[in-house]
Amino acid sequence: MEKIEISVLKHFSPTPGPRYIHEGKFSGELFRQTVLYPKVSEAIEKNIPFEVNLDKTAGYGTSFLEESFGGLIRIHKLSYDKILSLMTLISKEEDYLIDDVNEYLNDANEESKK
Amino acid sequence: MFKEYKTKKNKADQGISQPQREYKRKFEEPFKDYKRIQAPEILSFIDNPVGVVEFISDLKKHYDDKKKVFVVLNDVKIITYDAIVVLLSIMVKFKANKIDFNGDFPTNQNARDILTESKFLKYLYQHFKEEERYELGQKSSIHTHAWKDVDSELGNELIKNASKTVWGDERRCQGVQRTLIELMLNTNNHADDSKKGEKHWWLSVHHDKINGKVSFAFIDFGVGVFTSLNNKRHGSKFFGILDKLKEKVKYGNNAELLKLIMDGTLHRTATGKPYHGKGLPGINKVRERNQINNLNIITNNVHANLNSNEFNILPKSFSGTFVYWELNNQNVNCYGEN
Repeated sequence: MEKIEISVLKHFSPTPGPRYIHEGKFSGELFRQTVLYPKVSEAIEKNIPFEVNLDKTAGYGTSFLEESFGGLIRIHKLSYDKILSLMTLISKEEDYLIDDVNEYLNDANEESKK
Repeated sequence: MFKEYKTKKNKADQGISQPQREYKRKFEEPFKDYKRIQAPEILSFIDNPVGVVEFISDLKKHYDDKKKVFVVLNDVKIITYDAIVVLLSIMVKFKANKIDFNGDFPTNQNARDILTESKFLKYLYQHFKEEERYELGQKSSIHTHAWKDVDSELGNELIKNASKTVWGDERRCQGVQRTLIELMLNTNNHADDSKKGEKHWWLSVHHDKINGKVSFAFIDFGVGVFTSLNNKRHGSKFFGILDKLKEKVKYGNNAELLKLIMDGTLHRTATGKPYHGKGLPGINKVRERNQINNLNIITNNVHANLNSNEFNILPKSFSGTFVYWELNNQNVNCYGEN
């Protein structure tokens, strides 16, 4: 089955950085704009699953992940339900990141309803 | 006052030729017009926060008044590595702003050795310009960095080097990386409430090769945690948070308030949602997951030792945030290069 694979390490950087581009290199904003959104929107358009692999990097600040994933809903207005139904998150090295990312998506969805 | 000074000076200079007077001014009493600031005998932010906050406060007063200072280190008996970041950052601040800064050396050999290792003594005679970035010391033992942005690549490099000291090979320590990113971001966003990205953060890393331990000491001279909370403006989810918190939880002073911040209560009150690990409480989560050890925080008038769960009020307030932690071979880490 066709699947879109996204790896932060391979497709973006071994050292993910802050939230916004102006705060430093390899920001969540840059990752979302250049990697995550184009691939996730393609997956949604084609209605095929996508996998985001968070492993093998140096580690994440919370803002990077919030801006990357929350921003898909907040900035790009992608469907929360579509994202959830098509996305598989891989984070074997830091399993708590999966809960965190799901919460960021949920929070952004709740905010968007206000 | 001035007349009295002139009379004394004239008496002292009687019978001395002009070149001799010049020599005396330059070499015998070169720091006569400097304000002498006595460093505490125990120069350690962790072990003597009261003395070090007092010392920083004295220096800051003279920095604000643009008065040249002479730091008396002669009587210092103990220096710990966490104090190096304090000394270096203050010295560079003075020199970069063209305020003369000098000092003497501890007579105690151990204290003197630590200062020599940090290169503090070498920098004492060097000029500094106001720059975005500073890199001081030596990579193999104690290395100090300062910048304004969030630098995840630097964090990665420091961790690679630290892991060689701790485990003998390169590892990834995502907890240390998160701690560094959250602190750099805090400085970038909150250290100066009027302008973002204006203040330097300072980080000293010390490699204890004998005990296989690396310590990290981070400092910014911003407004500190409680002042920052009080300054939140309309639109921030933390605006008026202390009033909201008081309605829900009883707390007496800033030590108890920091406890509520560190366990995520403040965040839950502000957002009504579970806490996801941002900022200082996120660093405490890193400690709880055993990714770092011996976490200490000093901000405004509170010193917190998170490992022993002690939160103490300091008699004098430190305008800024100081965070210290260690990495040892019991801490969680990952193999494999990134």
